[in-house]
This record gives sequence, structure tokens and C-alpha cells, in this order.
Amino acid sequence: MYDTSKLLLQRLVRRIPTQMLKATLDKWGRLTVEQRQAMDFTQSKWALTQKLLSVCEVHALSVIMNDNPNQGMWYTFQLLEPENDAQSVELTQFKQQFKCHLSELLRQMSVKIKKHTDEAVWIRIALGSSFSKPNHLKPTYVVHYLQTPYVFVRNLTSKLKPLLSQALTLATRHQGVKEANLSGRNLTSIRDLLMRQYQQVFPTKYHSPPEEEDQPVLNQHIEKEQGGVAAHRRHMAHQAFGDGMLPQLQSAVYMLDTKFRDPNNRTMTEREETFKCVVKFSSINLLESLRSCASSGIASAPVTPLLSSIPLKGRNYFVVTDNTPGPSSQGHQTQN
Amino acid sequence: MSRLNPFAKLPGLNTASVLLVESEEHFQQSLAEALVEETSVTVNVRLAKSFPLPIENDESRPRIDLVVFIINLTSELSFQSAEASLKYLEPGYFLGKVCFMVTNARSSSVPAERLDAVRRLAASLHCPLLFAEEQTPEGVTNAAERLLTILKAAAGFVPFTTPLYLSNLTRCTLPPDIDQPSFD
Repeated sequence: MYDTSKLLLQRLVRRIPTQMLKATLDKWGRLTVEQRQAMDFTQSKWALTQKLLSVCEVHALSVIMNDNPNQGMWYTFQLLEPENDAQSVELTQFKQQFKCHLSELLRQMSVKIKKHTDEAVWIRIALGSSFSKPNHLKPTYVVHYLQTPYVFVRNLTSKLKPLLSQALTLATRHQGVKEANLSGRNLTSIRDLLMRQYQQVFPTKYHSPPEEEDQPVLNQHIEKEQGGVAAHRRHMAHQAFGDGMLPQLQSAVYMLDTKFRDPNNRTMTEREETFKCVVKFSSINLLESLRSCASSGIASAPVTPLLSSIPLKGRNYFVVTDNTPGPSSQGHQTQN
Repeated sequence: MSRLNPFAKLPGLNTASVLLVESEEHFQQSLAEALVEETSVTVNVRLAKSFPLPIENDESRPRIDLVVFIINLTSELSFQSAEASLKYLEPGYFLGKVCFMVTNARSSSVPAERLDAVRRLAASLHCPLLFAEEQTPEGVTNAAERLLTILKAAAGFVPFTTPLYLSNLTRCTLPPDIDQPSFD
């Protein structure tokens, strides 16, 4: 038992890049100040690991919870049909229920639940099979904000998925869980997008006077002919996507299953079957790029609902079919 | 459809007005700032994305002495937008009051046909074709200086020189081997 935890710590330290090692150890907070100062970070990693092992003999298994929060993709799930007491679920009850349900379903596993300062409950699940110990190097992370119906998961295996869904729905007093079609690398961003915690612009009948901070004081001899049109476009773009800093999304995927429409291409248009294709937009900060597309006139203003429903509905995976208007969780009417 | 008329209004005293038309609305801002620094004449710069210009500005707009179409060679849309805007100008402008300015000509992603197409357009309209470098401040000042030379002639500040006379000297001509395939 003691040796495996030593091995685990060794592998963990090896995975962390050397520059981040000092910061990670500080964040970990398990070493006392003197111990931290005694660690000589100019030594090789192997020497460091040995030193570390000798220092923390007792609790080598208290693992580093979020060493790399921005690596790997986070997927969102939404809890459905809350029961009457879903709003009153609080941390201890949730912890107890969740651990209890999950341990009924799985034998070899390790679950750690911790609440962070920003009201997020982090759950770390390491699974093992009936023959082996829990694999701590490939844990599944689950983040849930109590009293909201959203759950963010990273590294979910197909084996764990149904069990996790069941445990979550029971522990949070809901009746079901479904995929929310939102994924991203940055947890805070997808959380902000879903819970609308970014600066939004609400539609107004009378536009406010154009802001001065983005137009540097123009020389009186320079005048824009189409300034009004540009300001209008900018306002529409900000209304659709929001003001200021936008949450970082990396991609948006549209699965199209519609009839081909192009007046110049008769052969394709005359086919009876639908044309299936996938359109993917990807960028470092997708919402920012879409907003500047709309405000510079590359995308037409007012912004098409296909694009504006990314922030509006908090999704980045859409299935577009030719159905008549009728909102369904997957379908979305095409723009003719 | 109302066209821009070069001689419908009276000129301002010691003033020259230039209209910069650019589909991307990027280079025109820095070029405008370099143009207004001219001291010997008062330069008014109007910026537009494309024609037609909004009719609400028709009253307040001064007489435009020179219309400059800024074309970014890396974008086909830029060229098409400039071409489509030409029909909103009265024919009087094409007697030396229109100029084409091209950016990013050195970029490797530019297909040779596009530069040829711009050349043919400028040559058919008897307009000068300037090449500008927009990414450095020296490039911008250079482009502004050359533009000012044409602007001063177009606004009538150069004695014994009409814009038509100047355009005869500066207009774009097609190289004789333009129809032959290029090396790359």
C-alpha cells in the first residue's frame, strides 16, 4: 500500500512539467513552509522526487486535485425534472448520497469530494476493475454547482457514464440527466456561458449614443460616410454575443441534414435525399471571432439565429434539420 | 440611382477633399491620419466602405476632388466590391479624379490573375494605379505623399495642370506581355 502510493507520487511528479512544479507544490499546500523552502528546485526531477517522498511519508495519496485544469475537454450535462426537494440539497447530504450510491454500484473505486470557494463541488473518481486497484492516473473529474442543473465532466469513460448519471440524479434529487451539447477546454468559460456570467447587452428601442472609448478622437477633417451603419452593425453584434470579455469556446459543430439548395446547381438540388454534412467552426476564442465577423459586416446583421443561439442556448453542438418550426432539444430550423 | 457628381458643388477655399473607399475599412484610417497632416492645404478625408453612399450625407458632403479605391489584393471580395462601386460615379470623375491603390501586392498568397485584373480595370478607365505598403508607418507616409501629389492636381492647386493632364501621364498601362503565362 505504501509502495504503490510512492509509485503514484513519482509518476505524478514526472508528469508535471518542471517549470510548473514549484507552483503546483505551493498550490497543493501539504508541505509546510520550511519543507517548501528546503526543496531545491535546481536539482534534477528524480532527485526532487526522492526528496519529496522522504518528506511526505504519511499522506502520499492526498492527490493533487486540479493540476491541469485547462487540459482535456469538459462536457456538460443537464439534470432534468427536479423533485420537490431538489432545491434544498446541500453539501453534506449530496456527498453522502453520492458516495453511497456510487459505492453500491462499483466495488473498486476511489471518490473524493471537495467544495471550492466559488461554490463548485469537485468530485474526483478513480476507477479500477474487479481485478485491479483504482487507476489514479486517469481519473474522471466532475464539477457540479449545487442548486443548478448543470454538471461538467472531464475524462468520462463509457463504463462510468451510466453509473455516474444514476448516482448524480439520485444524489441531486432529479429524475434524469441528458447531454447538454456544450464542450470546451476551459471550465470557467463554459460555466460562464451557461450561467450567463458575462456582460450582456439587452435590446433597446433607442440606441445609446456611440461609445467614445472605441473611436479614438477623430480628426475633425476625417469623417466616416457610413458611420451610422457601422454603429448599428456593432450594436447588433454585441446584442447577439455580449459585451466585453467573452467566454472562450474552441469550436462549434453543426450537423446538417437538410435538402441541398443552390439555384446554380440543378443536379444536386433535384435529389430527393437530404444532404448530410458537418460544419465546424474553430478558433482560440470562437465567440470573439463571431462577434467581430458580425460587427465588421462579414456576417450579415442582424445575426442569424444559427450563430446567436450559441450564447443564447449555451450549446456548441447543433443538429440542423428541415423540420417545420417546433422546438426540440436537438432540432433547429434552417434559415431559408 | 444617385451618382456622385464631381462638379455639382462649389469647392472650398484652399481645401481639397478626398474619398477613400475600402471594403475592409482597415488601411483607410491610418492613411487618412497621414493625409490630414498636410499643412499647405486643408485636406478633408471621407471614409467609406462601399458605394452607394448614404443619402443623408449628401447635403453636408463637400465636393469630392479625388476618389481612391483601396483594394486588398489578398481578398477577392475587396476587388469585387471596388468594381461594383464604380457605377455609382458620374463619368466626370474618370477624367483624372479617380485613383486605385493596391495593398499586399508582395504577398505570396495573391494569385497573379487578380493583379492583372486590377491592372486591366485601371488601364481601361485611364486611372493611375498606386502600390502601397500598409504595415509600416513609413509605408503609410509614402502612400500619403504620393496620394497628396495627385490630390493637389485633382483639386486644382497645381498651376497649369488639370487632373486630366496629370492622369494622362500617370495612368496605368498594360505591359505588352500581360496575356502571356507568368513564370510561376
